[in-house]
Order: sequence, then C-alpha cells, then structure tokens
Amino acid sequence: MTDDLHWLTAAAASRAYAARRLSPTELVRALLARIERLDPQLNAFIRVDAEGALAAATAAEAEIAAGRIRGPLHGVPVGIKDIIDVAGLPTTCHSKVMPATPATADAVVVAKLRQAGAIVMGKLSTHEFAIGGPSFDLPWPPARNPWNRDHHPGGSSSGSGAGLGAGFFPLALGTDTGGSVRNPASACGIVGLKPTYGLVSRRGVFPLAFSLDHVGPMTRDVADNALLLDAIAGHDPHDSGSVAPPRQDYAARLERGVRDLRIGFVRHFHEHDMPAHPEVAAGLDTVARTLAGEGAILRDVTLPTLGEFAAVNRVILNAEAWSIHAPWLRERPGDYGLLGRRRLMPGAFLSAGDLLAAQRRRAEMIALVDAALEEVDVLLCASSMDPPSRIEDAEETARTYPRQARAPFNTTGHPALAMLAGLAAAGLPLSVQFVARHFDEATLFQVARAWERAAGTDRMHPQLG
Amino acid sequence: MDKPFVEALARQAGLERALAEFPDCVANAAAQALGRSGEIHAPANPAAEPWPPMKVGGTK
Repeated sequence: MTDDLHWLTAAAASRAYAARRLSPTELVRALLARIERLDPQLNAFIRVDAEGALAAATAAEAEIAAGRIRGPLHGVPVGIKDIIDVAGLPTTCHSKVMPATPATADAVVVAKLRQAGAIVMGKLSTHEFAIGGPSFDLPWPPARNPWNRDHHPGGSSSGSGAGLGAGFFPLALGTDTGGSVRNPASACGIVGLKPTYGLVSRRGVFPLAFSLDHVGPMTRDVADNALLLDAIAGHDPHDSGSVAPPRQDYAARLERGVRDLRIGFVRHFHEHDMPAHPEVAAGLDTVARTLAGEGAILRDVTLPTLGEFAAVNRVILNAEAWSIHAPWLRERPGDYGLLGRRRLMPGAFLSAGDLLAAQRRRAEMIALVDAALEEVDVLLCASSMDPPSRIEDAEETARTYPRQARAPFNTTGHPALAMLAGLAAAGLPLSVQFVARHFDEATLFQVARAWERAAGTDRMHPQLG
Repeated sequence: MDKPFVEALARQAGLERALAEFPDCVANAAAQALGRSGEIHAPANPAAEPWPPMKVGGTK
C-alpha cells in the first residue's frame, strides 16, 4: 500500500483487506501515528482510545484472516462524537457539567457498528452539549478546520468533520438538531447526512431536542456514507421516535446518474432570504449547471422563508433543550461555557403559546416540503451561506453561524445531505445541500454521487503538515 | 422585554443564581426567545394540530 493510507475510504480499505494487501492493524497504527502527529493542531479528539482500537484491530484481523468477514465495515476505523455513548469511556458532551464516569453500555448506533466489525478510534470534539459554537472556555479546546486551522470546522459535530478532513479515520458519527452534521461537512469539505427522522436510533445519545435530534453518518465520499448509513439504520423499539421503513440498499443507485431526475433549486434561500457570499452562490450555480449537464431537469422551487423555518426550529429546540438542562442551569450555571449557557436558557422565556404555534406551523411546513417533493425528486439548496470564518473571530462566527439552510429539514424530518461544492479563492470549502422525500436516502445518494463524480470532490483533500 | 419583566420571568423559571452571576447571559437568552417567537405565522386553520401528534402506543 502507499503512504496515503489516511485517505483510504472504508470501501477501499475493505477491498484491500480482502485482497490481503492491508490489515486492520496496519491501518489503525498508521492512523494513530497521524493523529498523534497532527491532532495537537486540530483538536478533533477529546479522547483517543489507542488501546481499544488496537485490540479491536487485532481481533478483526484474525477474523478476516480466517475468512469470517462480517461486511464492508469490518476492520474499518470510526470516530464517535462525544455525546454518543461508548461503553467504558465517559460521554463528556465537551462540558464540565457531565460526570467523568464511563458509559456502561454502547449507544445503539455504536453497538451496530461494533457488530459490523468497525473499530472505534475514540471520542470527538463537539460544541458544548451540541449547541453554541467554537468555545475557548470549556475543559477541552475547540476543533479546528483542517483546510486552515485558523478557521472553524463547523459544528456541533466539529471533531467528526475535522478528523475526516484531516485523514484521522474514514468514518465518523455526528448528530444533527439544527444542522450539526451538515455544518462541519460543509466547512470541512466532506459528506454529511442527516437521515430521515426516526431512521437511525438515538438511544444512548445525549439529547439536545427530542423531536429534532438525528444521528448521521459522516464520511469523505458518498459511497462510504451509504455504507455507514446501511450499518446504523433500522428500527429500535426502545426509541419512541424510531420507525421501521422497508429495508433498502442505500448504495444501489449510486452510479446510475441523474438523467431525467427532477431537481428543484430552492434559490430564494440564498438569493433573497439570506443572501449568500458570492462564492457560495457561484458554487451552487455550478452544481446546478453540472447536474443539468448530466441530464437532470432543473426547476425553481419555493418553500417558506429561511427566517420562519429558523424561528420554528429554534423555538422547538429551545423549549426541548430547556426541559433537559433547566435543573443544571438553575443550580450550576457557572459550569457551562458562555455560549452553552446563552443557547440553552432561551427556553425559560418562551410561553406555551410560543411552542404550540411553532409545532402547529411545523406540521404545515412538513406538508409544504412534501408537496414540493411531489413535483421534483430532490431539492438542491445552500447549506452554509458563507465560507467558515476565523475561529478566533467570535463576532464573525456569531454572525455567520445562523446563516444556513439546514434547520428547515430538522424541522420537517426530511433527509438532507451536505457536501463539498468546490473551494473558495482562499482555499476553504464551499458547500451544497440535497434534500429528498422521507426515507428516500437512496435518491439523495444517487444525486450526490453524480455531482461528486462530475466534480471530483472525493479527491480534494487539504494539505497538512 | 424590559429588564424588570425579564428578571421576573427568570426568577419564575428558577434562574436566581444565573441572574446574580450571569445577568448578561440571562438578558441575551430572553432577547433570543422574544426575537424568535415573533417570526412564526400562526396557522389560519383553527383545527391545525401540532407536530409531533398525540399517538398512543409509542412510549416504550
């Protein structure tokens, strides 16, 4: 194998294992060495579990050598956002508030990954309790952007995005309540999916807002994202939001292209509601033109405004988050960082009427997006309206973080995928988002793969020292 | 929201300690809440129900 083991996708690693050109131990050792060398600059990890990863690699190697290959994730390293339980490791939520005691059981998604043979590399940085932004007043430093460490990597699944972009692991889990898988996917130039609400179990994941929380796969290419979703999706009878959709092969139509697929371009999000940075707008036009050139039928689509989507999302998020954090915010507000404290308290000032108005409007918004997706197969729209700002510039980060079009689809539960749309002149990632009907992740992957293949986004990596 | 009203709401919510130690955070949180709820268009149909709906049998 080459020196570029760190850019291997899960699918490529699996093929190399099967051909006896690489072993899980070799890959894990190479990645641990890279993490040791580069993570002090990026802070993707809260805790590296080198011992556990090497033990799992040794076990996977023996099984694979004996011909007992569990599937395409067997022996493949994965990073876990640190609001998701991994047995034997503390779930810190990147906060002083949480006890340091280890989790007693794996979250359902982690158990599924272990069953598939994946190797847990450690726990990854987040924003405190998966809300707020990059903070310097927490027990661990914020993750940084691998394309330029002076810039933020998005969040709240910031370590997941930064670690994938840096080549620390080919797979990661994030969570997404107002866009927290897709924001780091956008900022770090990787692929992040918020699946349909209820498709992936949330049991064993520290909640931010019950009716908006999703666990999502994060990867460096679209095919790996489909593989990772395949491993973690499925009904969980102990998760009250879980559903049991018909079993499907998420990768089945990856290479089918987009000829005659109908794509609705939600231009008003970035042209009128929140006018995007010119390079972001140009990137979106390039994606639309490219997909049209590949045979897709493009038309404009109108949805409620981003401002109203954001208001509905935030009222519900604030109310649900307050119901979780109120006891701690009353007793020990000083144990939260500034941003966490400010973002988790607004629910105390909302009325029952505010919440019900948001929930009733939410039902209408779901119906409106459903109606739009009766006319087209997939929506194309912005993810972030700006390239990632400098991490030390708190004012600019506070201005640009809410300038996004991700929260609408937490509110409506539709599957949404964000990925690289190209690079800005300054060398930072630009992004695009695709949205599909409930449980139609396969079409989402089909369109995302068509763009990826046409633009070569899966071959774009940052230069790291 | 004016300051006395915000303080009264904060006390009602049990945030006396936050009010004493982090008054700016409390004021900021109240301002966020006010700004958001005003942007939502209430459904015109009085029978429009909230989502998620009440549904029996899903509590396990």
